Amino acid sequence: MAKVLEGPGMGLMKKWGIHVPNYVVVTSADELTKLGQANDWMKTSKLVAKAHEALGSRFKLGLVKVGLDLNGAVAATKEMIGRQVGSITVSQVIVSEMVPHKEEYYCAVKSTREGSEVLVANCGGIEVESNWDRVKRLCLEVGQSPAPAQLEKLSKDAGFTGGLTKKMADFAGKMFTCFDSEDAQYLEVNPVVTRESDGELVALDAVTLLDGDAKFRHPDWNFVFAAEFGRSYSKDEVEVMAVDSKIKGSVKFIEIPGGDTAMLPAGGGASVYYSDAVVARGGKLANYAEYSGDPPDWAVEVLTEKVCSLPGIKNIIVGGAIANFTDVKKTFGGIINGFRKAKGDGKLKGVKIWVRRGGPREREGLDAMRALKDEGFDINVFDRNTPLTDIVDKALQK
Amino acid sequence: MSILANKDTRVVIQGGAAGVNAARRMAEFCYLIKRPLTVEAFVYPPDAGKTNEVPYGSGLIAIPIYKTIAEATKNHPAINTSLVYIGADRAMKGGMEALDDPNIKVVSMITEGVPEKDAKLLGAHARKLGKVFNGPSSIGIISAGACRLGVIGGAFDNLVLSKLYREGSFGVITKSGGLSNEIIWICSQFADGITTAIGIGGDAYPGTDYVSYLEMFEKDPQTKAVVIVGEMGGDLEERAAEWYGAKKRRVKLIGVVSGFCQESLPKGMKFGHAGAKEGMKGEGSARSKSEALKKSGAIVPATFGALGPAIKETYQELLESGQVKEPVEPAVLPKLPKSVEEAMKADEVMVAPLIRTTISDDRGDEPCYDGYPASELINKGYEIPHVIGLLWDKRLISKQEAEIIKRIMMLSADHGPCVSGAYATILAACAGIGLSQAVAAGLIMIGPRFGGAVTDAGRWFKYAVDNKMNVDEFLVYMKKNVGPVPGIGHRVKSLRNPDKRVKELVGYVKSLKIKTPCLDFALAVEQVTAVKKDNLILNVDGTMAAVLVDLGFPVDSLNGFFILSRTIGLIGHWVDQKRQDSRLIRLFDYLVNYAAPKRREVPPLK
Repeated sequence: MAKVLEGPGMGLMKKWGIHVPNYVVVTSADELTKLGQANDWMKTSKLVAKAHEALGSRFKLGLVKVGLDLNGAVAATKEMIGRQVGSITVSQVIVSEMVPHKEEYYCAVKSTREGSEVLVANCGGIEVESNWDRVKRLCLEVGQSPAPAQLEKLSKDAGFTGGLTKKMADFAGKMFTCFDSEDAQYLEVNPVVTRESDGELVALDAVTLLDGDAKFRHPDWNFVFAAEFGRSYSKDEVEVMAVDSKIKGSVKFIEIPGGDTAMLPAGGGASVYYSDAVVARGGKLANYAEYSGDPPDWAVEVLTEKVCSLPGIKNIIVGGAIANFTDVKKTFGGIINGFRKAKGDGKLKGVKIWVRRGGPREREGLDAMRALKDEGFDINVFDRNTPLTDIVDKALQK
Repeated sequence: MSILANKDTRVVIQGGAAGVNAARRMAEFCYLIKRPLTVEAFVYPPDAGKTNEVPYGSGLIAIPIYKTIAEATKNHPAINTSLVYIGADRAMKGGMEALDDPNIKVVSMITEGVPEKDAKLLGAHARKLGKVFNGPSSIGIISAGACRLGVIGGAFDNLVLSKLYREGSFGVITKSGGLSNEIIWICSQFADGITTAIGIGGDAYPGTDYVSYLEMFEKDPQTKAVVIVGEMGGDLEERAAEWYGAKKRRVKLIGVVSGFCQESLPKGMKFGHAGAKEGMKGEGSARSKSEALKKSGAIVPATFGALGPAIKETYQELLESGQVKEPVEPAVLPKLPKSVEEAMKADEVMVAPLIRTTISDDRGDEPCYDGYPASELINKGYEIPHVIGLLWDKRLISKQEAEIIKRIMMLSADHGPCVSGAYATILAACAGIGLSQAVAAGLIMIGPRFGGAVTDAGRWFKYAVDNKMNVDEFLVYMKKNVGPVPGIGHRVKSLRNPDKRVKELVGYVKSLKIKTPCLDFALAVEQVTAVKKDNLILNVDGTMAAVLVDLGFPVDSLNGFFILSRTIGLIGHWVDQKRQDSRLIRLFDYLVNYAAPKRREVPPLK
């Protein structure tokens, strides 16, 4: 699942015929000033300026300013750019026209197991969240497009009347087309409003989640996906992602500040069981990591170095199930090199390493790990006869 | 009994290298349970018409590669299952092609990163056709003692350790490929092992989910209990719980779910597989799944570690109620033949080497010449002549010797375009022949009449010196036993028109004040022969030979000095012709003496 910021999200909607307010995304106040000279709407409309970053609660943080004229928007942009919120530095501001309106509605399309669901409500904004029963849905099977009659019924069921019924049905139809054509997993517009100037329905805000795996058939996806957890990626995380994108198999790394138990397990499934075991034992995770699909040893080495660089760690859990085809000796070779490098750089002082693994060439791999003891590592190595997460129990025993 | 993969399963694999690797793993399993290879065909358009070689025991089986599924099933009508190992961007097309084939009933896709929509379309299409689409991102399906689809089960040793050679009583369904082996292993250690284990893939919307497979297990009398390994996100586990709780089920259900750590992680942070994402409004959390399973009557161990004991307890109950009997293990199991390398490593086999070398070794990070690493030789100032010394005579020669060899090479690097070697190379170059062949054409000319007399000259001069012959004795011996003295005589040079190269080399070597018995002898021979005939002088071959024998080089290596040096010239001639883009040459009639019979009538054939 790949989150897309408002700007590119609205761009995709516009591409499929959904009315969106005029907007620009800028990286400096000067750029906005120049754009103001070129675009009439910026001089004639009231404007909204928002920090264009993957940040929650922007209103509370003062990163949304409404009812501005161009000068006000320039000033707001100047103020927002460069602001530091947690690990995120605001580097872009989206400035859009305010659309005067009275009523607010809601429309979304989401992915379901069978296909998708089109959601419509004749209330919007925060009102819809407290009146979830007013949201009406149309379930569609994959490969099926909604018929106009189905959409009109949905619109009617949601309480739309008169000319608005068809308008909302059309709007929802376009939302579905956008969803289906862009390999979206979730599209939400809240609120949808009636533009007073021409009576058209306009999408005022967009939440867009795309299927990152479908990027290969969307050459116009020229935007970067945003981190989904309210902070930007750290340098080490970005470096591991860069490695991940280059290799067969995968390596994953996410830092969790403040933890003391570092994770270096194999497999997308086992890694979560290891994390669960740490939490269940009262430990504090310092990171999430995972390597799988028989990645090259150098990639695992990079991952290992990052894990060893986590501050304040006491234990490293090198766990893993019995692999199907990941070569234990080879991948452990990468981990061992990473450990040696880290030790050479003065890291791993007082850190205990716990290993459990099985799979192709498990004996050679585990023997190589055991031999690290002779190099002065505090390492405990277990084979398949020790249940998967027992090393976590041993590591966190008080 | 088992589900999905059984004794009747015959497979086509769609894809290239990864598919071939899977076929190898599948062949190992077939070999273990003594059934013929299940893979009958590959579909991989770039290699259509060729075969893939799959080891089976100690032999190799050639499996044909086709362009389309239709061709594969036409030629192999028993095929009923397809494994898809095609890249994410083409996986859907491949999967659809397989589903649409009337012979194929099960399609399992290993491909990771398949767009969600594609996976849903494949799943829906399969359901419409009443077929099974498993995956994407599936590690495979394995039925103990019957059939393996994909690499699930791991290495051969693991197949044996996990007792996959015979049926047990536990079904396994898991999203995680990596954990599938772990659960199979646990079932074999805490109970009697598995019937069938299915990796359904870790994507958000697997083509076939727990419920469909639970239905199949419920109908399989051999399966007494099913272990499902779930993870947070989606509602597959809840649906399984709903199925289990809906009515009294024959199979027991044991379930674990991962993702409890989510509760103590920063908001929005999600781990694991693509499908492991939290649903809206808290649904799909590990806790809600685990609660749902418990409520349905399933056995839900608190942690992954408690899974083994839970399986053991279930197994004990099954034993006590008489539903299962303790399995009988076969006395002997086939051993996977080791490769020669593996067997040697384990000291199980001795191999008589095919060749023996005493000069160099390339097995480390760089070549060693007679034990000396090449880079160290370079860094310590050694040069090409020293490498020649090491590789031709296995000794580190002195600076002085190196200088002599260098001069020999410089003097014999080329001798113009007219000599046999260069002319042959030029002729070949003009005919458009490549460098190595054209140079080889030149080298082929080196023999008794051109450049190839060095070894023989060295041999006989050495013979004379070793046997303390005087010049007269030597000449008599040679006349009687050998013929003209090699190294003596020149086509154009003579006493009055001496060969400057010889003069230069002799002068230099003599100036060094080293012992040169062969050279001295050769010069003494020249004194006698040149008197008999003006051009019976010591030629460059003879001079080189005498000097090199004096330096201690083995007689058999001597021609090598000429071959090596002259190769420099031959390469030069080839490049020269190439650069000029020379035209094809042929002899003019007037350069040929046509001495063949005049034109005449061919007699009738008898």
